[in-house]
Amino acid sequence: MTQGKKALSAVPGEAIGTVAAQSIGEPSTQMMLRVFHSAGVSSVIQTRGLPRMIELADARKRPRSPIMHIYLEDSIKNNYEKVRSIWRKLEEVKVSNLISSYAEDFRTGVMTLTADRERLSFYELTMKNIHSSIEKVGDVEVSIEGDEIKVKTSKKAGIKAIRTKFVNVLSARVSGVHGINKAVIQQEDDGSFTIATSGSNMLELMNIEGVDKDHIYCNDPFEVARAYGIEAARNIIANEIITTINEEGLTVGFRHVALVADTMTFTGAIKSVGRHGVAGEKSSVLAKAAYEETVKHLVSASIFGESDPLNGVAENILIGKQVTVGTGYVKLMVKKEDIKKLKEK
Amino acid sequence: MQAEFIDHIRFGVISPEEIKRISVAKLVIPDTYNEDGYPIDGGLVDQRLGVIDPGLKCKTCGGRAKTCPGHFGHIDLVRPVIHPEYAKIIYLLLQSTCYKCNRILLNDDQITAIKPVVSDLIVKEEELPEASAEHENDSMDLLKRIKNIKKCPHCGAEQPKIKLERPTFFYMNGERLKPDEILSWLSKISNDDLKLLGIDPTITRPEWFVLTALLVPPVNVRPSITLESGERSEDDLTHKLVDIMRINQRLEQDIDAGAPQIIIDDLWELLQYQVTTYFNNETPGVPVARHRSTRPLKTLVQRLKGKEGRLRYNLSGKRVNFSARTVIVSDPNLTVDQVGVPRKIAESLTIPINLTQWNFEDAKKYLESTEYPTVLNVITKEGIRKRVTDINREELLKEIQPGYVLERQLVDGDIVLMNRQPTLHRISIMAHNIKVLPGKVIRIHVSAAYPYNADYDGDEMNLHVPQSIEARAEAKFLMQPRDLILSPRDGKPVMFVEEDELSGLYHLTKEDSYYTKDEATLMLSEIGIYELPKPSKNGLYGGRDIFSLVLPKDLDFENKSKRGHVVIKNGRLVEGSVGKNEVGEGDGKLILKIFSDYGPRATRDFLFDMAKLSLRAAYTAGVTISIKDYYMDEAFNKAKDEMIKGVNSKVLDLYSKYKEGKIEPLPGYTKKETLELEVMAQLEEARSLSDNMLSKHLDNTNNAKLMVTIGARGNMLYLVAISMLLGQQAVRGRRTTRGYSGRVLPFFRKNDKNPEVKGFITSSFFSGLKPDELFMHAMGARDSAVVKYVAITQSGYLQRRLINAMQDFYIDENLAVKDANNSLIETIYGGDGVDPTKELENEKAKE
Repeated sequence: MTQGKKALSAVPGEAIGTVAAQSIGEPSTQMMLRVFHSAGVSSVIQTRGLPRMIELADARKRPRSPIMHIYLEDSIKNNYEKVRSIWRKLEEVKVSNLISSYAEDFRTGVMTLTADRERLSFYELTMKNIHSSIEKVGDVEVSIEGDEIKVKTSKKAGIKAIRTKFVNVLSARVSGVHGINKAVIQQEDDGSFTIATSGSNMLELMNIEGVDKDHIYCNDPFEVARAYGIEAARNIIANEIITTINEEGLTVGFRHVALVADTMTFTGAIKSVGRHGVAGEKSSVLAKAAYEETVKHLVSASIFGESDPLNGVAENILIGKQVTVGTGYVKLMVKKEDIKKLKEK
Repeated sequence: MQAEFIDHIRFGVISPEEIKRISVAKLVIPDTYNEDGYPIDGGLVDQRLGVIDPGLKCKTCGGRAKTCPGHFGHIDLVRPVIHPEYAKIIYLLLQSTCYKCNRILLNDDQITAIKPVVSDLIVKEEELPEASAEHENDSMDLLKRIKNIKKCPHCGAEQPKIKLERPTFFYMNGERLKPDEILSWLSKISNDDLKLLGIDPTITRPEWFVLTALLVPPVNVRPSITLESGERSEDDLTHKLVDIMRINQRLEQDIDAGAPQIIIDDLWELLQYQVTTYFNNETPGVPVARHRSTRPLKTLVQRLKGKEGRLRYNLSGKRVNFSARTVIVSDPNLTVDQVGVPRKIAESLTIPINLTQWNFEDAKKYLESTEYPTVLNVITKEGIRKRVTDINREELLKEIQPGYVLERQLVDGDIVLMNRQPTLHRISIMAHNIKVLPGKVIRIHVSAAYPYNADYDGDEMNLHVPQSIEARAEAKFLMQPRDLILSPRDGKPVMFVEEDELSGLYHLTKEDSYYTKDEATLMLSEIGIYELPKPSKNGLYGGRDIFSLVLPKDLDFENKSKRGHVVIKNGRLVEGSVGKNEVGEGDGKLILKIFSDYGPRATRDFLFDMAKLSLRAAYTAGVTISIKDYYMDEAFNKAKDEMIKGVNSKVLDLYSKYKEGKIEPLPGYTKKETLELEVMAQLEEARSLSDNMLSKHLDNTNNAKLMVTIGARGNMLYLVAISMLLGQQAVRGRRTTRGYSGRVLPFFRKNDKNPEVKGFITSSFFSGLKPDELFMHAMGARDSAVVKYVAITQSGYLQRRLINAMQDFYIDENLAVKDANNSLIETIYGGDGVDPTKELENEKAKE
């Protein structure tokens, strides 16, 4: 066994970072650029292909399409009705989603909303819910007459302020979790139900009864880092990269992807691959200057009297020395006695 | 090899004293050459700064153009000028120090509080208590807030508001701060206070940010070129320096003449402008300095910056000798380890032989020879390179002795590196053994093309001859294709059987494939096997038996795939036809098996033998296609028209459903978007319907279809496009819509619902396209060409970023991954320390 393991073992000195970078960069040249929407499938839309790869490498704080995949506790995951009741709590419903029309009167500062009964019953909400959520906006008087809701701004204010208030009223949240635009119930192969959402909010989701807190998947590393910590975020980055590549019918060994994820997270915070992240924080002045923003780095190095220890690859190529990785990692040492022997000869 | 090492490089700011110390000449005349074309003393090409004209001698070191390294000069600026790149730090310093007493705007308590933190930033002198992380944050905040402090804690002076107007103008309470005032302010900041701001005063003093003397680079940094007309054309930098000196001189004269302050200030500002553009001609807020021809001048920053700048173009990218480049072509008669090199290239590239007492006689033979292979140059012990000619050959033969180096032409068996750009991964550079062949192209084995991502439609490749023994050893033991058969990306083979070879292999190993004795003998003699396998029924030889001869003798292998069950027992193919699943692109299971069980050489030989054998089988079987393969009969075309009619009516149904409002919107889409999506899905369906129709219609006697079936070349979609219909053309992932209002082309009816008006092409390449269809097809083709270009640009940049972020990582002795500063990235590489090329073997071992 140990013999076999040795045969499979990686070689010390191997420039594994470059290998990993190439292993991910090379297939991405073959990736499609366009985000295709698969028609007919009910699940949520996701960014795919090269744009998604770039998004992950950039470590964007707001990914283009954050999604979550929510698994439910064993006791309820096969009960469609119960799953449905959780699902109802998820999708963020705003006042604007529940009305059929509205009218604004800027002279009196009154807005008249007409509720849509059909939608209300679809989300299992009542006029009362709307009433209380509009009140939360503040500085408004709300009165209900049948299907009509009258909102009056209590403070005397200019047209601009009234308009802002009206917008706030329309976007007031009636129910659901903040940030979740859409939720869809899906049936898995084993008959159990899961919920897929577009938009993410893990922290609030963890407070919802019935959600399996250990099995919420979210494709936004920052969201995961906030909720579960950096180690989890590292796994998310790695997993997202490898699924993005695999979706294109290409393959990459997990170790390369994991190394990229580790590079982005080993300091404890998520850093982008690029001038604002990992590459911008190198200790070598020359390596930074040779990468991007040449003058900025040289100027700041001169002000603070920085010194370049010439340990990395880029610096050594620059000054014409052998690089420190690969075969350049190996140094030859001669025993003192051997030198003596040689001299005697 | 390296006698001296650069240990580290320290950056700093140069002081006026230092400038004067290293300067060999004070330059005073804003001109270059006099009427005789001779350098003016005290001018910008003063001979003390070095020489570039071959005839002249440097007045400082006495060297000629080739030997003189160049020497710096300087210009004394009459009035100080702000260095534009340092304006920001000057601004920061002015904000954080008192205008009156020039102390840092922190009280003594705050100073003691931040000392331990900033001491890390500069050289540690005194022992200080270690800073905690929390403490560190607090201190950093304090330093950030320093500019908001309104009152000096040392002298109690109210602090004025300092403003920086880009790029170089400072204002204090709305009044202009002249560079000389800034200079005196900065020079009064104490060393101790500077340390608190992270500046090491032994290296950088802030008053040096304001220039009083300007360093002038040597002439060989800014060489002038002589045009054909004999006219001299100066470098951009020289032009800029002339401008600076001119203004400087005028300023001096005006000051001496006692000109009014406004005129002096104007000139001073002009001097500032000239100096600013001398450093950076792209400084925001400053008009670009231009050449007479309105071309913007390339000044210092422009020389360094960007892809074509000094750092990326000249320092990170090196130019090399001993390399060749030409068109490549495939050659199945070479192994993957070999490369066919044209005689012409082999004759002009050389390899050095270090003469010793042991190789002396052998090496001498090369020098004695008057024709290829011979010695081109002899390098003496002193390093003098002598070109060998027929005249001095005899002489050199007598002269050479151990210690000399002979530069010999390339011969068969020499190792060279081959490279095809773009060099996306490490197997884009591999080492091959030379085989000198006639012709003018480089030849590589068919299977070696895939890792280079090469084809032979005019691709060129580069060839490099490693010159040192170390380099050759690395090439030989680490870079030969046979050792790189498994990809570091996923552990799958990158050299395998493709295209015609797969066709041949199919014919060779299919059920009831038999060859006559003649055929079998011919086939096997190709690969140097002169013993026939046991004949099967009536004196014929089984194709599988012939194939088995190239397998290792005791190989056991089994593979089940969609295309059948392949069994190899004891080195004999017993069942199934060997194809893409076993030896082709993808998993290449048989190649993987042979590589891990029998090693690199056996795999290389297997690939070679198999390729040649299967090509011969392809010739024997006569794998070819003709127009007949794509011709469809009347009945089939009728069926196709029916199918299209069906699709059309379904689409029209969708439209009428939409009109009646019966369409159910997909979640997240409007009804209109849903309609479009469903129409597109319906039209896409037409393609797969055609696919099925055509697959059923054709059988494996149709060679075009056969190639698709066995995965040798093409796919069903191509066949459909040639023989049936092109289908929907897409622009930006949608049907073509843009053009005239309500229609794409002018001869359609407005708002037609027929799919054909939105790029659904019902003709095939065989039948030819109608004019409107051709237009639609061109739209789609244009779009995909643009998409391809953008994708390549973007993924190229992604790769550059990835490599830049990770290139310093290596595996250490304990299999941990570390970077250049010894930061630990992974405690054990990949969680198990397994070599990435052995990924698949590792998985197998786990099972």
